[in-house]
Amino acid sequence: MLLGIISSLLWWAVIIFIIVKLVSGGRKKHYSWLQRELPLWEEKNIINKEQGDAVLSLYKLKRVTARKKMDMVKVLTLIGVIFVGLGVIFFVGSNWQRIPSHIRATMLLAITIATLYTGYIFSYEKEGFANLGKSLLLLASLFWGGSIALIGQIYNIPTSENWYIILLWAFPILPIAILFKNDYVHILASVLLIIWNFLYSSDNNIANYYYPIIVFLLILPTAKNLILSRRINIIGLLSASFYCCFNKYEWLALLISAGLLAGYLARKEERVYLYSACLSFIFWNIAYFTVRQLQPNLFFLLPMGFMLYLTYKDNIEKNLVFCLAGLMIGTNLALSSVSQIVNYPFNGLQFIIFQSLLGISIYSAGIVSRNRGYLFPIIYKISGCLVTFICVYLLAFKALLEEWAGAANNAYLFGSLILAGIIALLMVDEKNSGNFKNKSRRIELAALVAALIGSIILLVSPRTVLLNTIAINSVLVVFALSSIFLGVELKKPPIFTLGILIFALFIITRYIDLTWALKEKSLFFIVGGLVILSIGTLLEKQRRKIIERMKPE
Amino acid sequence: MNKKLIFIAVSFLWIAVAVGLVISKQHIIRTGKTVFLETMPVDPRDFLRGDYVILRYKISTIDLRQIQSEESYYGQGKKVYVKLEPRERFWEVTAVKTKKPVSDNGIYIKARVKYCYNRKLELNYGIESYFVPEGEGKDIEKNMRGNKSLVEVEALVDTSGNAIIKKVFAR
Repeated sequence: MLLGIISSLLWWAVIIFIIVKLVSGGRKKHYSWLQRELPLWEEKNIINKEQGDAVLSLYKLKRVTARKKMDMVKVLTLIGVIFVGLGVIFFVGSNWQRIPSHIRATMLLAITIATLYTGYIFSYEKEGFANLGKSLLLLASLFWGGSIALIGQIYNIPTSENWYIILLWAFPILPIAILFKNDYVHILASVLLIIWNFLYSSDNNIANYYYPIIVFLLILPTAKNLILSRRINIIGLLSASFYCCFNKYEWLALLISAGLLAGYLARKEERVYLYSACLSFIFWNIAYFTVRQLQPNLFFLLPMGFMLYLTYKDNIEKNLVFCLAGLMIGTNLALSSVSQIVNYPFNGLQFIIFQSLLGISIYSAGIVSRNRGYLFPIIYKISGCLVTFICVYLLAFKALLEEWAGAANNAYLFGSLILAGIIALLMVDEKNSGNFKNKSRRIELAALVAALIGSIILLVSPRTVLLNTIAINSVLVVFALSSIFLGVELKKPPIFTLGILIFALFIITRYIDLTWALKEKSLFFIVGGLVILSIGTLLEKQRRKIIERMKPE
Repeated sequence: MNKKLIFIAVSFLWIAVAVGLVISKQHIIRTGKTVFLETMPVDPRDFLRGDYVILRYKISTIDLRQIQSEESYYGQGKKVYVKLEPRERFWEVTAVKTKKPVSDNGIYIKARVKYCYNRKLELNYGIESYFVPEGEGKDIEKNMRGNKSLVEVEALVDTSGNAIIKKVFAR
């Protein structure tokens, strides 16, 4: 079961990555390039300032101030400080015996305080050495870690209590990070607190509630102008929440999720809080499931509903992907709980079909959103398309169909049938409303109906492996053809190319699938290579021709 | 806030934490009673503090059926007090209690439960690491393995049950 959860998380990680890249990746890269280049064009009098502003407003971009040039002295000082600090820690590690340990500890502590003093003098008493002072305060903080580690070594504090050493290092440097507003030490303290959290939890086998409380109440509020530290702490919180999934710390995950959500509500411009809150609520749901396997987590609907509300209200398209992932994982966990209550076995085939139907539902939501003018139809469509395609592609392997068809799980069966019913009703309603009149929409509908029929065939007759293989491979071909035709119809080369890719993938997979069992592997590769080369050349030639034809129009 | 004041406060805090840590350990050394424990070592490396020998004690695993025990099961992470008494060369466990008896003047060492299964108790005493000069950990282990000898630990236990390693030597 846990393997299923992890694999579905991995799937979603891949899907989220692809969608985020598709939705914003390329555009963002071009936008930031444009933002950087515009001042240069204005400087060279290629365009004037008004034209520059017009270009920026066209793409809803802000004028960026010239990036600060990297200060070589600052960088070298910082590197030097880190080297000296690490050197001292390694020196402590080597447990050098020529000087008695207590004298060593006293000397190191004295050097630490002296460095702290020098750092203070250069930062606040002498003018013009602020950067050096800042770096020396970092060095003092590193020396402090060395001093504590040395005392721990002298008294043989066991490695199972390393969390205690790290805590004694991290806490006393916080006044420097916060009251002296030292960015470097703030980052060092944040990293140390993350390490402390994991060591504390793993060494004591208990949930560390102190960590999120410290981060939310002390670290994040004091990192207002320090984006790197905020990001590090959010990663720390997210990894702490993820750790909860495997250790049954459901309350800790809930606390972290609620804190991140509050962080977003307090700082709406920082959307990363909302994304992480959404992910953390997903981890909370998984942790809840591992603790109370027989109780479906209906409470999960509350934060997810609120997340969806915020996504629409604040128009944050990327967060919709996290919400969809959360709802999909949540539905699966709820069905798993129901299966365990009524003692239904796990059935891999039904599990994948259910995911495929969830994908089709998400795509259908995209169609409805487009037809009715709601937000984010593209996100729904890309997410639904990817989920459905991955499932159909997996189902197209005959060997897997044979292997997965086990004892029926009625929870997944009924769940799938309900989903299929909802999709069918939605599409009938859309058709009756006259929303499938033009050719491109009819092509889209054909692919959707094919996927629906394929899934239902597999669902109702899981034992007829040959029929199922033919049915699901036909769905894959319909996907490829509909994507090709849709690309031509809408004059969108990416959709057309996607169709070609699906088709090529289909041919390669089926070739491997059917001929891998042959004893003569050399023949397999030679013939396969030749076939792929010829088909590839042919398809590429045709693809270019068609894309060229699309351009002038 | 006055920066000079912050500097002074941080300096005091650092000195106080360091001295406090030293005093807490020195207290065990000053007031602790000596016990001899039988061990089996292995050699890893701590990223922060260099080479150390992991010490696994004979008293780390206790069969609750063979000693006096208040309970038959102890939860993971629970704090317990283990009564030690001298038997020939080494000190051995005679009882496990959840609280240190006030009237008993015997030696009780504080421990944390790693796990408890089938009435077998696995404990951590906080004296499981012994730091040695870099590179010497492997030599010590090799020598001990070659001579097939056991390692003996002289530890000190204070009245609150806190323990500290005084000396480690091959027998």
